Amino acid sequence: MRGPLFLAPLALVAGGTALATAPIAQKLGEPLPPRTPEQVYSSTCAYCHGANVGPVIRGRALPAAMVEMTVRQGRNAMPAFRPSEISPAELHGLAQWIEAGPADLKEKGQ
Amino acid sequence: MTVTLDRRGLLGAGVAGAASVGLSGVAGAKPVLAKGMRKADFKGAIAAMRAVVGPEWVFADEDAVRPWRKTYVPDPSGRHAPVGAVCPGTVEEVQALVKIANQFRQPLWPVSTGKNMGYGMTSTAAPGQVVLDLKRMNRIISVDPELCTALVEPGVTYRQLKDYLVEHNLPLWIDVPTVGPVASPVGNTLDRGVGYTPYGEHFMVQCGMEVVLPNGEILRTGMGSTRNPSAWQAFKWGYGPYLDGLFTQSNFGVVTKMGMWLMPAPPVYKPFVVRHKRVEDVAKIVEAMRPLRISNIIPNVVLMMSAGYQLAMFQRRGEIWDHPEPVTDEALMAAGAKVGLGYWNTYFALYGTPEMIAANEAIVRAAFAAIDGEVLTEAEMQGNPYFHHHATLMQGGLSLEEVGIVRWKGAGGGLAWFAPVAPAKGNETTGQIALAKQILGRHGFDYTSAFAIGSRELHHIIALLYDKSDPEEEKRADACYRELVAGFGERGWASYRTGVHAMDLVAQQYGAVNRAFNATLKHAIDPNHILAPGKSGIA
Repeated sequence: MRGPLFLAPLALVAGGTALATAPIAQKLGEPLPPRTPEQVYSSTCAYCHGANVGPVIRGRALPAAMVEMTVRQGRNAMPAFRPSEISPAELHGLAQWIEAGPADLKEKGQ
Repeated sequence: MTVTLDRRGLLGAGVAGAASVGLSGVAGAKPVLAKGMRKADFKGAIAAMRAVVGPEWVFADEDAVRPWRKTYVPDPSGRHAPVGAVCPGTVEEVQALVKIANQFRQPLWPVSTGKNMGYGMTSTAAPGQVVLDLKRMNRIISVDPELCTALVEPGVTYRQLKDYLVEHNLPLWIDVPTVGPVASPVGNTLDRGVGYTPYGEHFMVQCGMEVVLPNGEILRTGMGSTRNPSAWQAFKWGYGPYLDGLFTQSNFGVVTKMGMWLMPAPPVYKPFVVRHKRVEDVAKIVEAMRPLRISNIIPNVVLMMSAGYQLAMFQRRGEIWDHPEPVTDEALMAAGAKVGLGYWNTYFALYGTPEMIAANEAIVRAAFAAIDGEVLTEAEMQGNPYFHHHATLMQGGLSLEEVGIVRWKGAGGGLAWFAPVAPAKGNETTGQIALAKQILGRHGFDYTSAFAIGSRELHHIIALLYDKSDPEEEKRADACYRELVAGFGERGWASYRTGVHAMDLVAQQYGAVNRAFNATLKHAIDPNHILAPGKSGIA
């Protein structure tokens, strides 16, 4: 018989905070395709920034160059993210998007 | 100071005598080349690597290597900073890089996604290594919805795998460690990490590997080397000696594919927390929990989170305690009570049909009522961020909220996990807590901890939290960690895992014969010692 062993869960508690964005489509056997700024933000940044772990960074017109440097070097308690994790092109797009984009009022920062 | 010595002159010499690569290192130290390496060897290796993966994926100058040098663990002398990084995209490129490493005697330090925070990330156990960064190898090779299995490359993150399952509407769960979104099933399993669903013991649900050996050959474990490897992800053992364990917490090969089992989503999932108010209550919690875990009435890896650990997720130390001395239990209990926490907060879940859950819930409630535990569910804990966090983890949900603890002492971030193992018996807890507080307190650090029961064992998970931006505090953290390893070791409590800063120290706890056996294997498999020298104390 094809298909799962069980039916879908009946009583799931709400999951993590950053899966609201549509999942990134990846084909079996192929590398992850280039991601949009929203997808990079959702799959990495948003788990801390705006989630009470790191400061809110959207809607503050943070200079793109500073965003790029911070991502690569990991400012203070923030881990560094390598070109193998967020490609140079993805990072460039992300930094521009953060600088120019509006705040997300659902985000929380401590 | 940059010096150039010939290879013979450096053999057997200490780090201080080795050639500098010209990078300025952490805390003012200069990363040095590996023993026996000359600058010309290093340059030759780097040039050859560029020819394999392209110049854009090899990093060997100071600024370029910086992202691989970031770490939370104490490294006051900078000896754990890598000297370069190379990022292959295919297994064939890994094979070519291993051959180059042999040719130039350039050690490689493999990482999957390099996000084992508090264990070293992409820093290395011994100096002079080039990080073999496998993050670009991020293919999900296969997912079998009938057998509930997956085969993935090392660069696949838990988030990626979850995205695939969601996109294809496959009712399968992943099981995540606390840094799931950015961490890798391969990396976490190879480090024998854990998660919090019934599939939480990751190496138990691993099935089949592809490994590039130090000579460049490819080994497939289990059924993977048979003519028709259709059961590669279905049957763990294959025939003959079981080899997969050799490639966990070791430096005997580069794992380039790994099979794993996925849990079918249960019809009902019900998370619980049990609150206890006093520090000493943990002994009776362990006694109550052990039979429930061994009989599998509670089927997931259970966490007993202290108030200190929970508070550190979302608050800074200064909000709770403004004295230099370690924060007191009383202060933690008072701060915890304000946000719905006990001193111990024991998280577990039930999974299955409504009938199964109803039957097991009655047993569990009776067991905790007998030890004055306050058993709470979503009904009572709606909106509580701590409960929500653990309810997320126990269904394989993604969160990085626990990373917040690295800012407990200051903005600089500093974290080293200390994780001694004991049998799951209540009387083991009291002595461990006293010893931990004694050693941490001597160095001015807080006791921030959890206990976890996998099955029959008790992990005492202690977060050594310090401010890495303060060089003096980083030195104290380094000394404190070493004292923890030695002090617990004397009592028979050795660690199951450690960071790059203490691998040799922890390996010493396991005795001379164990170390000699590992060294014999290492020399036979990797005679040029080009894979991760120093990993798990295997040099």
